[in-house]
Amino acid sequence: MGVISAIGDSLAANRKSLVHKESGIGYSGPANSRYTGEIPFGSVALSNAELREHTGIHDAGASRTTLLAAHAFRQAIGDAGLSGASLLTATDTALIGATTVGGMCLTDELYRDTNGGAQGSDYLASYDGASVQQYLQNRYGLSGPVTTINTACSSSANAIQYGARLIRNGLVRRAIVGGVDSLAKYTINGFNALQILAPAACKPFDEHRQGLNLGEGAGFLVLEREEDLAGKKVYAELRGYCNVNDAYHASSLSPEGEGPFLAMKGALRSAGLDVSEIGYINAHGTGTENNDASESQAMIRIFGTPPAFASTKSSTGHTLGASGAIEAIYSILNLFYQEAYPGVNFSTPIPETGLRPLTEFQPMKLEQVLSNSFGFGGNCTSLVFSAAPAGLAKAI
Amino acid sequence: MLYIHHTTCISPQPGTGPVDGVYRIVEPAYPGIPANTLRRMSKAVRLGVGAATPLIRQGRIDGILIGTGNGGMEESVKFLRQVVEYAEGMLAPGHFVQSIPNAIASQIGLSDHNRGYNSTYVHRGLGFEYALIDASMLISEHPGTRYLVGGVDELSGYHYRIELADGWYKTTLTPGKSLYDYDSPGSIGGEGAALFLVSGEPAGALAAIKEIETFHSTDKHVVATRLRAFLARHLPAGSQPGQQLSGSPALYLSGENGDNRGLPFYSACAAVLDPAVPVVRYKHLCGEYPTASAFAVWLALQLVAPQPLPAPILLYNNHKLTQHSFILLERFR
Repeated sequence: MGVISAIGDSLAANRKSLVHKESGIGYSGPANSRYTGEIPFGSVALSNAELREHTGIHDAGASRTTLLAAHAFRQAIGDAGLSGASLLTATDTALIGATTVGGMCLTDELYRDTNGGAQGSDYLASYDGASVQQYLQNRYGLSGPVTTINTACSSSANAIQYGARLIRNGLVRRAIVGGVDSLAKYTINGFNALQILAPAACKPFDEHRQGLNLGEGAGFLVLEREEDLAGKKVYAELRGYCNVNDAYHASSLSPEGEGPFLAMKGALRSAGLDVSEIGYINAHGTGTENNDASESQAMIRIFGTPPAFASTKSSTGHTLGASGAIEAIYSILNLFYQEAYPGVNFSTPIPETGLRPLTEFQPMKLEQVLSNSFGFGGNCTSLVFSAAPAGLAKAI
Repeated sequence: MLYIHHTTCISPQPGTGPVDGVYRIVEPAYPGIPANTLRRMSKAVRLGVGAATPLIRQGRIDGILIGTGNGGMEESVKFLRQVVEYAEGMLAPGHFVQSIPNAIASQIGLSDHNRGYNSTYVHRGLGFEYALIDASMLISEHPGTRYLVGGVDELSGYHYRIELADGWYKTTLTPGKSLYDYDSPGSIGGEGAALFLVSGEPAGALAAIKEIETFHSTDKHVVATRLRAFLARHLPAGSQPGQQLSGSPALYLSGENGDNRGLPFYSACAAVLDPAVPVVRYKHLCGEYPTASAFAVWLALQLVAPQPLPAPILLYNNHKLTQHSFILLERFR
């Protein structure tokens, strides 16, 4: 696995921040936005120049989104012991990526290019979501299936599920799956127009929550078949998944949380698990009025009394198309280290639900973790991860 | 095996050829979509929901899978221009919400109150193919289910400018000249929506999609090698009535698009096939756009529907000289 977010540029750094309740929400942000310094974001500390240096990417057309993806991708294949050369000829290795902003982080360049004129910028082929996967494919010479999914904020949870299903259907032996998004003037203004950006650090599941903080980052995971695991590092098993649509509204969830309910229920069914077998939930928990109320209702409908849960977005911000993959990685770390990560900034439960997210780090015996990702357009996906059998789990 | 039961298409046809340098759709009146709903939809969403409406009336569907290369582009740039021109002032969110490519699949879901599987593939010239692959996986995972799958792309003025600046469209067109008679780089832009109702059930099907293969290469020899292997694997000698050569389809739909840089790929494919295999080109009907292969599947269904043409049909498409797809279609009825 490989990850970069506001709370660190590696697996170890992310885990350390989660364990110590160190939030990455602060007042740095994209230099070209007037909201930088005014409202908080979950920015990745590394500049584009530093990301270029880390990844060795110097192509003019590579956007920050691509650089973040390349950083996490490189860590993931390194962690899995896959060299660039071994991927080159592997038609049985898929790359399934996800992003919502893609190269739209290049807001000002795109503005100029759409104004026309004889001379286009270096970024003409960099604006779309596919530009990220195309870059990785070219750089690593990947010859297996490669695609890009965009289901808004559930994008990379769906990328994980698609990769797993390619393996289960016998179409590939291995899938590198994940997602990325970078902070962009474009999305900052979009969420601002929807009036769901919090003026201060977000407070998921709190009665006095004021909205979300946008974040940025990337996460990639290497999925392999059970029969190919001998001698390899194993973190966890992707046990179940479900993709549904809330079919309620273009940009908000139904009050009773029908989509989230069906996604969680379907993921449990697909995993063959009973509700009592989930030990922890990495909630979608954006900190908006709508999401947290809807998700809480859905959790109560399924679990009665939900298990320990928290939203790590209180530390990373909402990383949109990356959040499903980053939070899948956190869920897997929960299982691997047998520990539960808290949310930050919570103080008062929502009166209608009374639910309290975990607020302190604690070691916890965990067999199964559920990770939720819900997006605009009603796209709801839940994933279930199980601890790897003791004989398979290898130290990191 | 994925069986196609119903299809709809909104394309530049019937039309008289490119207008102002592009093949543009004449939008239908969209009967069945309330006027106030229609007014709030972006063009890409109108095309998708408009094409989906007759299909969702065919009974229960278990999910919606849409490929789109530039869905939402028009709205994205509209919003982005407001961001820049109003110096990040307080903006209305409409364009932003519609700009997300999943707006097409999710609005279809909303119009059908469909809470099933819902996904959007944005991988340029292969988005439709990955939607098809997903549909075939879903059908084998959940026997008895039916899905709406398709490709939807609009060609906005903004997108046209970016693609033109990047060299993907011809800068000058000669009136009356066929798309295939140019010897110059760039194609002619197009747009369209082609949707299919698919299941694992052969009864009553129009055709079946037997295989889909996608890959990425800039080498024409790789394309030829992969086509040869694809045909040998899926159409071994003697597997079809009257078939002489191994791997010979009865009909070949070529995505040739008038861009002379792409010709070597199409020539390499033609050289693999028996010269007697009839070739149908179609980009002069729909123009070039990322999910044009969905139009090609729709066209293939039109070709097989009225007359008993021999099967199977091979579709090859190349997008921007790097993305390739083979689709093998079998006439069914």
